[in-house]
Amino acid sequence: MQAEKMETDVFILGTGIAGMQAALDVADAGKNVVMVDKSPSIGGKMISLSKVFPTLDCASCITTPRMASVSHHKKITTFTYSEVRFIRKEAGRFRINFVKKPRYVIEEKCISCGKCEDICPVLIKDEFEQNLGAKKAISIPFTNAIPQYPVLDMEHCIACGACARVCPAECIDFSQKEREYELTASAVILSTGFEITPMNAKEEYGGGKFKNVISPLQMERLLAPHGPFSGVVRPSDGKIPDSIAFVQCAGSRDKSIGVPYCSRICCMYSIKQAQLLSGALPLADMTIYYMDIRAFGKGYEQFYQNAKAMGINFVKAKVGKIEELESGNLRLHIERQEGESLPEEVEHDMVVLSQGIRPTPEENFRNINGISRNEYGFIHLPSVPTFPNATGIDGIFAAGAAVGPKDIVDAVQDAGSAAIDALNYIKRTSR
Amino acid sequence: MGEIKSDKILIITTISNSYPGADAVGQSHLEYDPDTYIIRLPDPVLLPEDFYLKAYSKGIAGIIVMSSGSDCPYEGAYERLAQRVQKIYDKMKENGISISRLKLTTICTVCKAAFLKEIKGMRENIEKLKAVKDAS
Amino acid sequence: MTDKSAEQSRDFYRQDVKVGVYVCHCGGNISDIIDVEDVARDLSDYPGVSVSRNYIFMCSSTGQGLVEEDIRTKGINRVVIAACSPALHELTFRGTLERAGLNPYLYEHVNIREQGSWVHKSNKKAATEKSKKLIRAAVEKICRQNPLEAIRVNAARSIAVIGGGVAGMSAALSLGRQGFNVYLIEKENRLGGKLNSLWKAYPSEEDGEKTLEELEKDISSLNNINIYLESEVKKIDGYVGNFSVEIVKKGSPEKIKVGALVITTGYVHYIPFEGEYAYKTTKKVVTLPDFIEMLKDDEKNGSLKNVKSVAFIHCVGSRQNPSLDKPQKDEKVNDYCSRTCCTSALFRIKQLLEKYPDKKIFDFYRDIRTYGLQHESYYEELSKKGVLFFRYPEDTRPQVEVKGDKLEVKSKDILTWNEEVSVEVDMVVLLTGVMPADISVIVDDLKLPIGSDRFILEAHPKLRPVEVPNLGIYIGGTAQAPMDLLEAAYGGKAAASKASMLLSKGEISLDPFVASVNPELCDGCEKCIGECLYPGAIVMENGKAKVIPALCKGCGACAAVCHTRAINVAGYSLEQIDAMVEAISKE
Repeated sequence: MQAEKMETDVFILGTGIAGMQAALDVADAGKNVVMVDKSPSIGGKMISLSKVFPTLDCASCITTPRMASVSHHKKITTFTYSEVRFIRKEAGRFRINFVKKPRYVIEEKCISCGKCEDICPVLIKDEFEQNLGAKKAISIPFTNAIPQYPVLDMEHCIACGACARVCPAECIDFSQKEREYELTASAVILSTGFEITPMNAKEEYGGGKFKNVISPLQMERLLAPHGPFSGVVRPSDGKIPDSIAFVQCAGSRDKSIGVPYCSRICCMYSIKQAQLLSGALPLADMTIYYMDIRAFGKGYEQFYQNAKAMGINFVKAKVGKIEELESGNLRLHIERQEGESLPEEVEHDMVVLSQGIRPTPEENFRNINGISRNEYGFIHLPSVPTFPNATGIDGIFAAGAAVGPKDIVDAVQDAGSAAIDALNYIKRTSR
Repeated sequence: MGEIKSDKILIITTISNSYPGADAVGQSHLEYDPDTYIIRLPDPVLLPEDFYLKAYSKGIAGIIVMSSGSDCPYEGAYERLAQRVQKIYDKMKENGISISRLKLTTICTVCKAAFLKEIKGMRENIEKLKAVKDAS
Repeated sequence: MTDKSAEQSRDFYRQDVKVGVYVCHCGGNISDIIDVEDVARDLSDYPGVSVSRNYIFMCSSTGQGLVEEDIRTKGINRVVIAACSPALHELTFRGTLERAGLNPYLYEHVNIREQGSWVHKSNKKAATEKSKKLIRAAVEKICRQNPLEAIRVNAARSIAVIGGGVAGMSAALSLGRQGFNVYLIEKENRLGGKLNSLWKAYPSEEDGEKTLEELEKDISSLNNINIYLESEVKKIDGYVGNFSVEIVKKGSPEKIKVGALVITTGYVHYIPFEGEYAYKTTKKVVTLPDFIEMLKDDEKNGSLKNVKSVAFIHCVGSRQNPSLDKPQKDEKVNDYCSRTCCTSALFRIKQLLEKYPDKKIFDFYRDIRTYGLQHESYYEELSKKGVLFFRYPEDTRPQVEVKGDKLEVKSKDILTWNEEVSVEVDMVVLLTGVMPADISVIVDDLKLPIGSDRFILEAHPKLRPVEVPNLGIYIGGTAQAPMDLLEAAYGGKAAASKASMLLSKGEISLDPFVASVNPELCDGCEKCIGECLYPGAIVMENGKAKVIPALCKGCGACAAVCHTRAINVAGYSLEQIDAMVEAISKE
């Protein structure tokens, strides 16, 4: 296979909120940008959220226009469903090799009508809905995905050919192959984001095992206006929960699970979810079990105080373990850190485990020559604070949660900072 | 004020939020009343009070203003709009037009259920007004 | 849009209107429900329409070719395409017009897929009739549309950065490297702001002085950064591209012209009131910045040697409650978290214990907010080293009393059954929060929005985090919110990035969808000015209202209140909207 050759000014890996911000800043300054993302849509994790703290803006209302600006920008080219094989610095410029995986859909011809999706007889798990719903084996990734091209999951396809027959644009191509690209860029921005600590990080909490112990991203989908069940219900039996518990630091501030640091966002997203739940389920009780409430950003403390005023219970307690009862309810063994600190058992209908942030896996960095990681596994920034986006390689900059846990506000700020670094690097090296 | 003859519902949407919200309804292939007409504006705050009265006089049966609410890109526009709609209600009363023919609401880019609910609600209002008239 | 295409534009406003209507089948997505042929036929008779066609895929190159061909050969000078959502192809078709030499804004998109065939599947006839009405409305609208041009504003390739702390220095450096002429304005006699007093800073433990020297060296290596020390801004006016800033430098006034402003004016420390935690009644109660000075001094003189025990009290001047804390002059308490004090305090305690492991430390806190990657380790380390942490309830405050040579700190402690604890110490350190520096001159002149926390309020925390509603003004660092050193550097550079983007082309190109006044209709009533959401966007000139396009955002609030309809938003005039409703109403 012959690699298609391309050139650009700035290459950006990752199209989440940080990557998009950096791309728009670079492109608006007149430079060309190529972006690559492994997901079939741009937008990163933010597009799957319900609302965002502390303004309670609808997440998709903020992310969708941003995604549209990126995809319509004359100076930005995006490659989704693509994976980088290596980034090498050669003679002062960067050589980036990546492959675009086959969607089995000819993008140039596709009119995004969704007929293939309607007719497909195979249902598979929907990752966008955090596996709470099902989607077809050929489907557009989610409502406001960009681009609006479907992806065929070859692993589950039964090759019935129904999609190909119904497609009015004749763009289903079962023999599509991956395409290789070889890009030369003057500068690189890594905005590869983060991963989430596993649900079973603390086995005693039953995450991933008990049906009604759910992840925060699942709760986001339940709260989203276009979520899987159009409402907040328990996964085990569809019951509307009366009492929901949030267990903080279920994947952070704990050396034993390899995440010794604070994940920065969990307090705030839990408070936000609890606030949204008290709107959606006015009769339900919300309890947040926490160690410290870290509402440190702009407007966050006021948001926390509002939540208390709304009647959300904040209990400083350690949660020892969680048991599943026959009813599907959960029994939490807690030890209060306030008042009577005796062991206690409390029951809730549903539990949200506050998962934390962890770095993306090591193999993602293995093929970027010379990038080093800090003791926590995030990209190392050797020149903090005078040159705070610079990685160990001159010309490669990092932004967003790729350098450590960050909320959206902080990620967007430092993406702008990385953009000007990339522009300055080009200016310096093109002299 | 002339009698309202048609069953048409005018839907005022915003470029940033409720228009994409209406698209999301379409992407999900959810059905709604076809006698509905969507107009796309930067913000409904642009429309003067007499616009509404003129629309009713032309025979529009109901108007749903789908604003961006607190997600509005124009800081302060929603408050202006809400005040304006209050004044329009007063004028509607003066002119003998039922205020149930005008609804101010907020629709986000993925508020599909709310979008459908608003249309259904307005249709019910219009039908109720017709029934009252038929009975009298 | 280029000037060239504008010149080539075949369209002239007063020329006869010839509308081309194109109805897309979308390969059955539309045509299975909507009778596209009937729709196209219906529109062919409509006044103003010269050509009306239907085609299987309008977005294909053949489909676009049809439009281009009609513009070139049939003199079509307005285009209406009924197809999928404009989110997908509005820009595609604007490009089609541009290629054919027609102003791209003489185009109207009608959505008959997402808002037509896909939502009215079971009523094909109604869907067809609805499409006709919507297309007629679009024809009416586009007949009343003038060509639009991007609004161009000449801009000086120079930027004033106000405030020379770490955010301002980082911004100036980034902009200087881009080749802009930068004015870096600092009121003190040295750059660096609070960096001058940070001493060793977390997490790198590098000396603030060293960081400052590095930044100073980089800045002085660029001759396009003009440093104004001991200088203050007296007055600012103008708007994007053309700001004029009056500076008083060491007593003498000077005026500079700049295209954009970066505001990095930083913070001041909260100063406790006399008697607040016994502050000022004894020298043994000090603030966090005082304590840092003492630590620094101790390194040389061992001045903390005889202090055997220290109590630290968190949230002094932060997370305040109006019923417990004394308000500032504006009668408001500081209800926000100052973000950096927890980590800073624990880091300083760590420094103290590294030198004097035997000192007894008591820490009175509400929540320990060590959110940064390395910060949690300070907390853990100190707990192990025997620092005693007490958590005081939100509705109480610890009490400090002078007891002879000692200080007594009394507080309730949540961690031990809300028991009253009392400790005797040699010194109390108040972990004072931060407040924005007083920049009322700048705020008033630029009409900057200020949040309830008194910090500058950004246009949107996520979409426009370093902008204010008015273009050309950017904010960074602790003038916006409490931040640590690193975060302030990010903020300053993010602001620089926006300013650089704005001025990169020498002129600023703005969206044409802004308000404008027809002076013939304007009677000078000034109602529009009262309604406008953007200060200064409408001004009076010779008794008539005038819109400053660079300040207008095109919301149209003004249009709604103009009783002569003299003011309208381009592309959305009331005349156009009325005509659309008229077309929809007609059977």
